[in-house]
Amino acid sequence: MRGVVAVAALAVRLALSPAFGQERFRRTPPLPDARPVELKLPEVRTAVLENGLTVATAVQPGALTATLMLVVKAGEADSPPDRPGLAGLTARMIGKGTKRLSAEYFENMVEAMGTELSAETRMDYTTVSLRVLPEQLDRGIFALRLMVLKASFSERELAAVRREAFWGLVDRMKDPEALARRHLFRVLFEGHPYRTAAYAEDVIKFIAAKDVAAFYEAFYRPANAAVIVFGAIDGETAARRVAGHFGGWQGAFPGRVAVPPPSPNARDRVCFVEAPNAPSAAVVAGNVVMDASGPDVFPFLVLMQVLGGTTRSRLFMSLRETKGYAFYAFSEAAFFRSCGAYWARALAPPETIVAAAREILREIEALAAAPAGPAEIEEGKSFLIGNLPARFESPEGFAEGLARRVALGLDEAQWDKGPERVKLVNADTAGAAARRHLAARPIVVIAGRPEWLGPVAEAFASVEVYDPAGTLVRTLVKGERQ
Amino acid sequence: MKRAAAIVLLLALAAGRVPAAGPLAAAPDPLGFAVEDLRLSNGLRVLLSADHRLPLVTVAVGYGAGTVRERPGQEGLAYLLENLMFQGSENVGPLQHIGFVQKVGGELNATTGVDKSLYYQTLPSNHLALALWLESDRMRSLAITAASLERTKAEVAEEHLGRLRSDPYLEGSIRMDELIFPDFPYGHPLIGTGEALGRLTEADVRGFARAFYVPNNAVLAVVGDFDPARTRELVARYFETIPPGGPVPEPPRPAFKRESDVVTRSARVPVPGAGFHMGFRFYPLQPGEINILRVLEVLLFEGETSRVRNRLLRRDRTSTHLSAVLDERLSAAALKVFSLNTNEIMVERAERAVLAEIDKLRTSAVSPDELTKAKRRYRLKYLDRLSTLRGRALYLIDAAFAGADMAALGRDLDAVKDLEPAAVLAFVARYFTPQYRVVLELEYQ
Repeated sequence: MRGVVAVAALAVRLALSPAFGQERFRRTPPLPDARPVELKLPEVRTAVLENGLTVATAVQPGALTATLMLVVKAGEADSPPDRPGLAGLTARMIGKGTKRLSAEYFENMVEAMGTELSAETRMDYTTVSLRVLPEQLDRGIFALRLMVLKASFSERELAAVRREAFWGLVDRMKDPEALARRHLFRVLFEGHPYRTAAYAEDVIKFIAAKDVAAFYEAFYRPANAAVIVFGAIDGETAARRVAGHFGGWQGAFPGRVAVPPPSPNARDRVCFVEAPNAPSAAVVAGNVVMDASGPDVFPFLVLMQVLGGTTRSRLFMSLRETKGYAFYAFSEAAFFRSCGAYWARALAPPETIVAAAREILREIEALAAAPAGPAEIEEGKSFLIGNLPARFESPEGFAEGLARRVALGLDEAQWDKGPERVKLVNADTAGAAARRHLAARPIVVIAGRPEWLGPVAEAFASVEVYDPAGTLVRTLVKGERQ
Repeated sequence: MKRAAAIVLLLALAAGRVPAAGPLAAAPDPLGFAVEDLRLSNGLRVLLSADHRLPLVTVAVGYGAGTVRERPGQEGLAYLLENLMFQGSENVGPLQHIGFVQKVGGELNATTGVDKSLYYQTLPSNHLALALWLESDRMRSLAITAASLERTKAEVAEEHLGRLRSDPYLEGSIRMDELIFPDFPYGHPLIGTGEALGRLTEADVRGFARAFYVPNNAVLAVVGDFDPARTRELVARYFETIPPGGPVPEPPRPAFKRESDVVTRSARVPVPGAGFHMGFRFYPLQPGEINILRVLEVLLFEGETSRVRNRLLRRDRTSTHLSAVLDERLSAAALKVFSLNTNEIMVERAERAVLAEIDKLRTSAVSPDELTKAKRRYRLKYLDRLSTLRGRALYLIDAAFAGADMAALGRDLDAVKDLEPAAVLAFVARYFTPQYRVVLELEYQ
């Protein structure tokens, strides 16, 4: 007995004292808890008022603030082809005055609540939102109603908004990756309304107050909009207040005609966009895929994880870790009402631009040609299932998810049932999605300094060269004298 | 393995080496959440705050190991060590920490400031043990090798050069810090010129880690969807047997050189446009005065209708860009303003306008409405910070290092609510004086 005690005491001493080696439990990573992790988001209650306006509320117990958001189901793609950027400017003009009250009046009113109005315009929809202290919610609803329903658009205010939007865009496009992605969308969506969203900053100057008024009249209609309130709220009271304030909003909306998706690109195409001051080159390659409600969405999301979702994915491991062609390399996908798009992206030094572009194409082709292995599929699924809850954590993330769901009419798979849908993905469904959506030839766009063009022109059969605004300057065909 | 772990836990329990069974302090909930405040026998402070809204948990560790701990010739050491923390430990290979977290869908990052270095990850709550295992392994057995040191030094230097190349105004910001905090521990930059970084030796890094990356100089915060009893067990399992370090000295007190009047310098840095930095140092502040300064920063610089912003960007149109930040450090603070202007004439006008707006606060009391507006904005910003698990975990670590009473979290919001115009008037008169002011004008090319 004494011997047993002595052995046990020695074992414990060994286990506890780092000088005698580490405890065994430290040697391997612990297993996850057996309890299931379930994503349960707050219930979203919706009602449609007589004027067609959707009112949605979500109570978040424990939230410290409240968010109030107008969603208009019209985005950059709804701007007329000769007035790109109009949707975004119209959203920015909300709160810039009514016939009787000035922009300054509203600015003071909003800032007196301790907040700011923020407007976001995406491909298919627009949000105008206020985050407020809970005790300011009533005042917020009142202010939003005045700003939206009584909006008027003066040339003076528009000039300031236009200036701000112009310089904001100029600033964003200093990033070669932003420039490359904008150009990718421009060429992917040629002949489709989505091309309108990829506009150059110069076009903003052509927009006049009458254009803004016309866009507002066409799309800011109750049957084409929703008011969403969430956070630290009393759901019923909030819904009643919104109905009281917005129930009198008038104006018919004729509905929208469904826009067919564009065809995916099918031919070799390389574009070079001049970015004179870029410190490194951005290389993107992508194509058109399915829309937000397509059955392949979740298998495709898993494929994107395999391709370039994290630093453990194929692109990063190959382009950065193994071959040293790029500082980083990832892939992303976005899903819209009419279609979606995916793109791989890398930031590369000038000397490896060509190698990086070729390696991206090779990785995409490889994923389309041969199914991803079960381990890769499971790791991709594991990331998505674990990461989806984090997307709804902040008020901004929750607002984005909710606005998207309401605007695009998405089902609960795009809400808290997402992880369950991801769990259903397997090698077969992912393989089928890869064959359907990755087999078509992606378009390559490189944004970099003009002096970096030479090796690119040497490497590819044909290279379209664009200026920073996206205007085609020339096409270089390999073997032809320029 | 399970048996060995059970033995460790049993012995630890018998020896009284586990955290106190119950909370030492629990916040009375002014912010909507409670905090359990524990201290392990090795000195590690542990803050637990449960939140079951989403199946996520944040594990964050803060070490009192910021740049204030560096000695002359060691510039860049704190940041270098932050990077080395991802290069592996006894049971975790180089960069595996990132891989383990990303594999389960988690997100992670780290940051180093003047006072502390912070490491944090948010991941699915059923992987809480993984995060604790990872953090405990690098706290206990960080692997510092000659090869990893040289590689990391090169990466940090390259990253720093990249930042300097892509941000032409960064060098001016670094010089501004040196002017406003004329005292080595507080004023030297995160990396500096890179020369000192290149000379750092393995012994320097090991010495710094041994002195400051120890449980008795750290705070562990766990926030999110967890079971408190199980989490206390896991924390004890992974952290309790990590040996404490030696006594950790208090960070050096600032010893700012006294200036007789405003300091104006002109930075010879190649910037693409005219502009200036203006800064005000506040040291020492009396208890509670930081709240006045926080509201003042909002009142002057936040929102389009704030006094200075409205004047420079809209009324006078002297600036094309204006930003301001309240740089809060453990024992000192600075209000730092940065303006871009079209030419030197506008620089001069904008500087005068900033001072004129501050002078107005010295001579006439701010109206109750304007003060209420600033207080609301400050409150919203404060609560926004707490809206994510990560934000809350870092808030708790900040509070712990600042010596805040965990049972009184959020009371500073009450202090702000009660702030009177007369207090603002008195504060401006006392602190916004020329000898605490620094102006750095940029020379553009």
